[in-house]
Amino acid sequence: MAVLLVDRRGFKEVGNLIPNRKRMRRRGAASAPAIRMARVLLPRSRKPVSLFISLAGVLLAFALNASPAMALSLNPDAASPGIEDGNTLHWILFVVILVVIVAVNLAILRAARPRTRAVSPKQGRNVSQVKLAVGLSVFALALFVVATIFSDKSREIPAVNAEPVAGQVKGEPLQIRATGSQWLWRFDYPNASFSYRRLVVPAGVTVQLDLESTDVVHGWNLPELTGKAQAIPGKTNSIYFRADEPGIYENRSSMLSGQGYDTMGIEVHVVPPAEYEAAIDLLRKEIQFAQDKVEAEFELERKKSEISEMQAEKTENQIQNNQIESAASE
Amino acid sequence: MSRTTSYPQSMPPTRPEISSDGPKPRQARWAELASSADHKDVGRILISSAFGSVFLAALELLLLRLQLAVPSNVFLDGITFDRLLSVYGETAIFLVAMPLIIGLLYYVVPLQIGARTTAIPRVGQIGLWMFIFGGILLYGSFLFTPPEAGINPLPPFSDATFSPNNGVDVWITSTGLVTLGLLMVAIDLLTTLHNLRAPGMAWRRAPLFTWAGAIVTWLFVVVAPIFLAAITMLMIDRLGGGGFFAGDSGGSPILWQHLSYIFFTAIYMSAAITFLAAIGEIVQTFTGRELPRKSVTRSMIAIAIIGTLAWSQNMLTAPIPSGWKYFGMFMAIALIVPFGLIFYNLISTVSKSDFHMRAPLRFALGALSLASIGLAAEIAQSTIAVATQLSQTYDAWAATHFALIGFVVFGGFAAVTYWYPKMTGQQLNEDRANKSFGLMFVGTLIAVLPLFLAGVAGQVTDSYRYFSFEDFEVYNLIAAVGTLILFVGIVLAVGNLIMSRHEEPAATPDPYRGDSLEWLALSPPPAHNFDVLPDVRSTRPMRDIREAIVRRDNETAEAESAAQPVA
Repeated sequence: MAVLLVDRRGFKEVGNLIPNRKRMRRRGAASAPAIRMARVLLPRSRKPVSLFISLAGVLLAFALNASPAMALSLNPDAASPGIEDGNTLHWILFVVILVVIVAVNLAILRAARPRTRAVSPKQGRNVSQVKLAVGLSVFALALFVVATIFSDKSREIPAVNAEPVAGQVKGEPLQIRATGSQWLWRFDYPNASFSYRRLVVPAGVTVQLDLESTDVVHGWNLPELTGKAQAIPGKTNSIYFRADEPGIYENRSSMLSGQGYDTMGIEVHVVPPAEYEAAIDLLRKEIQFAQDKVEAEFELERKKSEISEMQAEKTENQIQNNQIESAASE
Repeated sequence: MSRTTSYPQSMPPTRPEISSDGPKPRQARWAELASSADHKDVGRILISSAFGSVFLAALELLLLRLQLAVPSNVFLDGITFDRLLSVYGETAIFLVAMPLIIGLLYYVVPLQIGARTTAIPRVGQIGLWMFIFGGILLYGSFLFTPPEAGINPLPPFSDATFSPNNGVDVWITSTGLVTLGLLMVAIDLLTTLHNLRAPGMAWRRAPLFTWAGAIVTWLFVVVAPIFLAAITMLMIDRLGGGGFFAGDSGGSPILWQHLSYIFFTAIYMSAAITFLAAIGEIVQTFTGRELPRKSVTRSMIAIAIIGTLAWSQNMLTAPIPSGWKYFGMFMAIALIVPFGLIFYNLISTVSKSDFHMRAPLRFALGALSLASIGLAAEIAQSTIAVATQLSQTYDAWAATHFALIGFVVFGGFAAVTYWYPKMTGQQLNEDRANKSFGLMFVGTLIAVLPLFLAGVAGQVTDSYRYFSFEDFEVYNLIAAVGTLILFVGIVLAVGNLIMSRHEEPAATPDPYRGDSLEWLALSPPPAHNFDVLPDVRSTRPMRDIREAIVRRDNETAEAESAAQPVA
């Protein structure tokens, strides 16, 4: 439908330049039902601007209908201090980009407008290229300065909490190692306990997350707390965050890492510090318990095999003795 | 047959010095074409294969978008999706963008500088066949194992340990053949540009597209060896554990990211330069006004240098020193200046003049419109604080696709529509071209705009499915519909290029009253391009020739009228 409208507009646009425009109009009328439908659906106007606006309107309506809560969320909810700066920068850039896009495209539409009378070749003054370049440079420099300020702020290590939690050196962030493997994350806590898939961190505590990988490049991705960072084998990528409120944050890894990539989830539970200590204590106990169990089983297996070996030796000796005896008796 | 192309052919018909058809072909047409080292034949094969590949890339993109149209879809399984994704990426970059850039330059630039042949034509011919075998290898690999390690196979994943089958080997070999082949074609063109310009064709008089040819071939000569070295290292890693990209033996996986992103960024910038220059030629021809040459050519050089130096803006989430990140961010934002200058000059030139809206100009303005959306959206992608949120999401994907679909697909159709009469000797059906333009333009908008929203909502790329609780389905559904429209538009446009060969009337040598020398040659040009080479005296040699013809005709008429009474 929209296409036909574009075509009709296209013909109208150059109407005075094309000798057989009446014939073209008649051709358009051949598919009248479609055009009538399009007219009902889209606002009638002579300018193709309306097409863009209606298109954008349709998209926006779709987006709004889809999930009202999501439609206006340009950014994730910031749960760590650095994310807020990134969000502010994104808002600034979003407005700048939108203005640039709209201005450029309106200029293109205006340039391509149908000519009803001849434009004299002298029309329009020439802007000095040097002035234009200087203006653009100032604009670019201003953008760079703004981007640098907010990027610096977003990369700052959040202020370290006064009261250290278990495993944290006073005055330094809590160090946790996150290791990506195909296709899960392993988290190593300071007290030698570890967990798979789910990270538990205390609220209000600055965490240093050391990203590593055992096999391929994995993409750490948690918009609300840290943003994205690559976990690369043989290199440590440290990111810092401080979750202020308890909560559960979930997402999935962001770099293609093989066939299980779409199931490689990231789950972070932010809990109050007391619960954190209990949780990693529990983890350590569970690990200890599991290790003890495995070791006990292993020990049992070892003993069993020893016994069976001894028995086998015994029977072998017996057989040999019997053979020797029988040989002797013969 | 009624069509909108019945414009008056404004060129005076009498040009007695251009009359030769060149030697008659001695073999069948296809044999002549396959064995030819002529830059026009090589260029045409490159351009045709690029448009064949546009169709393939659009088909693959359509399949990918259909798989993602609904959550937890089972249309394609994971491995098929990864294969299609990898082949789509390679097709779009190595089989569409690069041959279209090099092919157009290789066809048009020797004509524009008044060269009768290229300097080392056999090198160009070998390059063409290496390119063709690279393409055949990639699509032949569907019979065994196509590439499956993603659009850019990052090393630990593309090493023999994690990708044990031949997929990555196919990727290395085919991209290597294509890059090396096109590098040879570019070297031929560069040599021609520096040695075989017509008398008087100084650099200050060279057309914009010729400038683009010089800049892009120089850039290609610099960056293609970097990429070839990178894939060679990857191949050694795969074959014998070379350890170039392994973290534990002195190498680093980050090295691959540096090397490959230098090359990919340079290709992005080459596409921008080439097609902005082609759009510049189109705008100059149809408006009859000249762009400010110094400003535009310097901006193109700036895009080549600054743009390539901005490669590290792709690596803002990688563990590299933060100096690299700020450097990439600075260079990427500095690109605003040259791009802004060129866009301003193009748009204001159209705006200030009286023009005939014809298919090439329509495609050119469409290209500017789409590319402006993509380039503006890249600003957010290149700042550190925002890139940590938006890289590897569909927001980044949408920005790149807007810019590259704008430049390569729309710019490519604009250029080919513009030079179609010259290349084939036939007029193009502009009615159908306009229809396909409308479909493609609306299709691109519907296919890519919603993905900005999907990316902002957090959808990551390269994943073959998402789940219904992630709330992405609306965007992806709209995008799938848009991709279908885009695909139909591309099929129509490519079909129009093929069908116009047989249906349309023959074109005159100079259908648009162009100003550069390619319009002096016949349509299509004979094997030796020009019978007579003019002495170039200005930036608009064809205008000088037209004026000279008018002056001579007037003088003849005067002489005749003066001679009459005496007789």
